[in-house]
Amino acid sequence: MFAAMTIAMLAAIAVWWVLIQRLKDKPWLTQGVIPTSQEGITSSAPKVGLWVFLAVVTSLFGLFSSAYVMRMRGHGGLESWQRLDEPSILWVNTLVLVLASGALQIARNRIDKDQLEYGRAHFLAAGVLTVLFLVGQVLAWRLANPNGTLGASSPAYSLFVLVTAAHGLHLVGGLFVLGRTASHLFGNIGKAGVVTRSRLRLSVQLCTTYWHWLLLIWLGLFALLLST
Amino acid sequence: MAYVAIADRDHHLHDPQTWITKYVWSQDHKVIAIQYGSVAIAVGLVALVLSLFMRLQIGFPGTFAFITPYNYYQFVTMHGMIMVIYLLTALFLGGFGNYLIPLMVGARDMVFPYMNMLSFWVYLVSVIVLMTSFFVPGGPTGAGWTLYPPQTVLPGTPGYNWGILLMLLSLAIFIVAFTMGGLNYVTTVLQARCRGMTMMRLPLSVWGIFVATILGLLAFPALLVAAIMMLLDRLIGTSFFMPALLSLGEINKTDGGSPILFQHLFWFFGHPEVYIVALPAFGIVSDLLSTHARKNIFGYRMMVWAIVAIGALSFVVWAHHMYVSGMNPYFGFFFATTTLIIAIPTAIKVYNWVLTLWQGNIQINTPNLFAIGFIFTFVHGGLTGLFLGNVTVDLPLSDTYFVIGHFHMVMGVSPVMVLFGAIYHWFPKITGKMPNEVLGRVHFWMTFLGTYAIYLPMHYLGILGLPRRYYAYGNTALLTPSAQAVNEAITIAAIVVATAQVIFLINVFYSVRKGKPAPHNPWGATTLEWQTPEIVPKHGNWGPKLPVVYRWAYDYSVPGEELDFVPQNVPPKGNTSLG
Repeated sequence: MFAAMTIAMLAAIAVWWVLIQRLKDKPWLTQGVIPTSQEGITSSAPKVGLWVFLAVVTSLFGLFSSAYVMRMRGHGGLESWQRLDEPSILWVNTLVLVLASGALQIARNRIDKDQLEYGRAHFLAAGVLTVLFLVGQVLAWRLANPNGTLGASSPAYSLFVLVTAAHGLHLVGGLFVLGRTASHLFGNIGKAGVVTRSRLRLSVQLCTTYWHWLLLIWLGLFALLLST
Repeated sequence: MAYVAIADRDHHLHDPQTWITKYVWSQDHKVIAIQYGSVAIAVGLVALVLSLFMRLQIGFPGTFAFITPYNYYQFVTMHGMIMVIYLLTALFLGGFGNYLIPLMVGARDMVFPYMNMLSFWVYLVSVIVLMTSFFVPGGPTGAGWTLYPPQTVLPGTPGYNWGILLMLLSLAIFIVAFTMGGLNYVTTVLQARCRGMTMMRLPLSVWGIFVATILGLLAFPALLVAAIMMLLDRLIGTSFFMPALLSLGEINKTDGGSPILFQHLFWFFGHPEVYIVALPAFGIVSDLLSTHARKNIFGYRMMVWAIVAIGALSFVVWAHHMYVSGMNPYFGFFFATTTLIIAIPTAIKVYNWVLTLWQGNIQINTPNLFAIGFIFTFVHGGLTGLFLGNVTVDLPLSDTYFVIGHFHMVMGVSPVMVLFGAIYHWFPKITGKMPNEVLGRVHFWMTFLGTYAIYLPMHYLGILGLPRRYYAYGNTALLTPSAQAVNEAITIAAIVVATAQVIFLINVFYSVRKGKPAPHNPWGATTLEWQTPEIVPKHGNWGPKLPVVYRWAYDYSVPGEELDFVPQNVPPKGNTSLG
């Protein structure tokens, strides 16, 4: 169901996009230089690339969620399915990730306005909060099942670890990029001039978009976990 | 804002400085395309040999001692998986996608060249991991290419120890590689088109590759999820797919898992995968037919819409592969309906190809022979698909040779016909030499007639009830004596078709070394890749200036024009700035 909804949403976006690309054109009738779509698009290729990647990530987690629900309700599932009591630390973790996302947004706004000092502090805070979130998720694994064993006896716990680990790995990947951007942000960017600064802004924007999206995905996963 | 193509910004062209960066760690899309293509064809030849082993066993059971039941299932599995994923997907998207997209949209390269390079090397790792399974204890997995649990991860299945692990690992690595490449293809089409190249002026090859890539990006995660969950079932004993069962006389520790869940995940990927292979073929064959019939493609706009519609619909037909899994009849009705609906845009495409040929100045050459041959094989495979898409017809035919005949015609032979047509068509562009026409035609006729001799009788065998995946049939009462005779004939035809591929390889190597130098635009094509300053484009493709596009890609035989084609970058007479 989740996957179907995700795909439907993506398909709707694709159709909408196709429509605005003037699929009604009759190219055999028109000659000459027609203004291409690029002229009207302000976002750059890296931004488009990131959104395409986020579509892939959304598809992945949509399918994980589908698998979760189908395994729970599936053949012979209900009798072997033991409901997982989500540890309350997940609420704290969620708050931490929201704060990380918020900090990154403030950092982005400040860096866009060339207030680098202020931006750096929030950028760093976002990184630290994300690490805290990840530590919190590992703690949640321990709290949800003190034995910490994955296996046939605990499908709900196994799936919980699987989806949170997959989400965490995406954040770890994001942290690598965040670290790389931070190294530029805390380096001497004055030397390199305007181009470097605009690239830096772009990197921060991309990180912010990625974090917001992974926050949304986590909220979706958390809602799923709470509802089952 | 003045328009500057992505590839021209900052003049960052990652120029190769050494032989290694030019030919090995290359970021040039053309080199990466050839790397992808070479590896895909090499691994495809392995799969071809495996299919011959299978046919030798079926045609002449018990004659060849090295083909044991254990090996037979390994051959079946590896043949299927290699052909679908590591050959067809990789060659269409990694090979032709890489080569054609930047050239056809008028870009200097992909927008993320470094990631593009990584895509190939990660793909190579996935192939090496898969091939390694031939050399580990127990050999590769023999679970069938669909890898259905629970049997896949149970002792007794060939490759239970290492083979299945390497297969799942290889698939996961492949998906990473595909994602890196796919991000490039989509973003390049959206962001790196040259001036004047609107989406509706794109050649259909680009449209097919573009939509197929989107399908792949959204569908491959399903296979990744299935592979990860199956790895956990196999390695640490989770029960995602594994129910409680007896295995080798012992009660398994697993409980409550759903094998059907795996089937859903697998086919949610698996059916779009059919179109991941088919859509690029649809696009490319449209360009081949139009170019070699010297006529504009019939119904360009409808062709684009059909590609988009087929792509969208391909996500809601997956369970027609699962009619015998015991699904709710209403679901069966739903999926049969969607399957029939998807036939509509597909049929539109077929009509448009035929109408493109209608009254065209059809050139009988190797690329066009393969393109026309594709129409035959695709219509044949498509029509039998309508049989199998209906629940009541599918049930008795399921798991028979009818299914083998159908899917080999529709997603084996048909895309391969297009691949060969495309290789002959773009051979002069890639190598600067013309392919040998005589060898090409021999290759075509042996392949075309040979594949019909293989797969047409399989439909008859399927209707007789001959089940697939059997190592030997013995004296089965339901089979007539003619069934074995037919099987022998099929095997002989398979050997002939395999020999034809040797002729193809000879042609490639001979023509690269001693072929006639290609003229600049040997087929008189309109698309941009034929308008580069050099016949074999150099790094950066376009020299100092990017092309400007003034018209669509199908101005063939335009009344009043001097030549029977007008390239996309030729301005209209009298006025160069109508826009």
